[in-house]
Amino acid sequence: WTLDNWSQNPVIDRILRVDHAGEFGANRIYAGQMAVLGRSSVGPLIQQMWNQEKDHLKKFNELMVAYRVRPTVLLPFWNVAGFVLGAGSALLGKKGAMACTVAVEESISEHYNNQIRTLIEEDPEKYKELLQVIKQFRDDEQEHHDIGLEHDAEAAPAYSVLKTAIQLGCKVAIFLSERI
Amino acid sequence: MAAAGGLRSAGWRLWRGRAVVRCHQYPPLRALQASAALRRASDEHRKEPLASSSQQHFDSPPDGHQPEQKPQGPHPSYTGQGGQESEDYESEEQLQHRILTAALEFVPEHGWTAEAIAEGAKTLGLSVAAAGLFHSDGSELILHFVSECNTKLSELLRKEQKLVQLGEAEKKPIDEFLRDAVEARLRMLIPYIEKWPQALSVLLLPRNIPSSLNLLTSMIDDIWHYAGDQSTDFNWYTRRAVLTGIYNTTELVMMQDSSPGFEDTWRFLENRVADAMTMSNTASRYNPLEKLLSRA
Repeated sequence: WTLDNWSQNPVIDRILRVDHAGEFGANRIYAGQMAVLGRSSVGPLIQQMWNQEKDHLKKFNELMVAYRVRPTVLLPFWNVAGFVLGAGSALLGKKGAMACTVAVEESISEHYNNQIRTLIEEDPEKYKELLQVIKQFRDDEQEHHDIGLEHDAEAAPAYSVLKTAIQLGCKVAIFLSERI
Repeated sequence: MAAAGGLRSAGWRLWRGRAVVRCHQYPPLRALQASAALRRASDEHRKEPLASSSQQHFDSPPDGHQPEQKPQGPHPSYTGQGGQESEDYESEEQLQHRILTAALEFVPEHGWTAEAIAEGAKTLGLSVAAAGLFHSDGSELILHFVSECNTKLSELLRKEQKLVQLGEAEKKPIDEFLRDAVEARLRMLIPYIEKWPQALSVLLLPRNIPSSLNLLTSMIDDIWHYAGDQSTDFNWYTRRAVLTGIYNTTELVMMQDSSPGFEDTWRFLENRVADAMTMSNTASRYNPLEKLLSRA
């Protein structure tokens, strides 16, 4: 039921589709956070992290075209959901925004690590360039995660509940975007 | 020597006849058993198919095409060049591919039926029982034909793209490109146009829908790819949906068209493509949500 028979290389197809969706969502999350906290003291920090996500998205756009991968139909949905998540967490305060960042970036780092493992198992030579890209991006996301922690994410209201809920949402988003 | 050969071929035909009869009792296994039998037979009697003069033509290994049952990527070719017994091995898919290609010649006369396949098999020097390898409604034949047309279209578009890259041709504006691509693809139906409505109804059978949908979507995706589409947002879907609509409606119009050179069809196509262009311009101008959704 996965529409997999559209693609020439199902492995790459899934990987690129979900990564593209992820970076797109991350962009919208930071956009939402900026909409609320743009003029606060963490504004420049969030802007900086957002800029890095923009670069990531640009890279995946190029890869999608090069490998002729179909983007996920859920993009319009992630567009709205990401913004709402970003703005919602920012409304809980700066620490809330940081908590959201920590949760999302932790999910994404783990997700990239899984992909790196998959690609290495498949054929490290063939996917050398893609592996390099994903490793670099994973390091960037890890850095965002650390920045979030540094800025008192753990002191956010209902931190563990928030984190669990957001990470569950990420897992669902990843599952769906890989397939649809 | 000749007597032995004669006896062997008589025994071969009897054996294959039996294989086909046995297969009628177990429909799901029939293709496998019959083709395995055919393959064994063709292994032992490689000289026989090669002897017929219409062979030369079909022996070239299919490169990078999509067999109708597994429309996924190229398969390795095993046909050898000489008449060496041990190296000259042909896979089941290649044999089916050859039979179906040969059968296309007889479609205008017999329709998309087992008769056409049987006639095709005869020209290859195989028994008419070879038609037993396929469904009686001609599904595989039609899917094979569609797949071949799509491959030809891809080739055509690739060549055009090369010419543009080399600077030997002008890059066409999008509407002209789409029009020409759809027209080129529909023109491939012209020799079979009388029997095409029958083919369309077979392609819509629930059994065939996954394959025919797959072929349709990959063709439309190909056209957009060569048209230079680089969208990675929801536009990806909108464009393909619109082009699919244009293609399908034009195809239906073509079935009913009796004008000289199908000029009514091409005019219809031109109008539909123009409509699509207008719609997309209007949408991007007046719909802020569309703009928002298409921005990364």
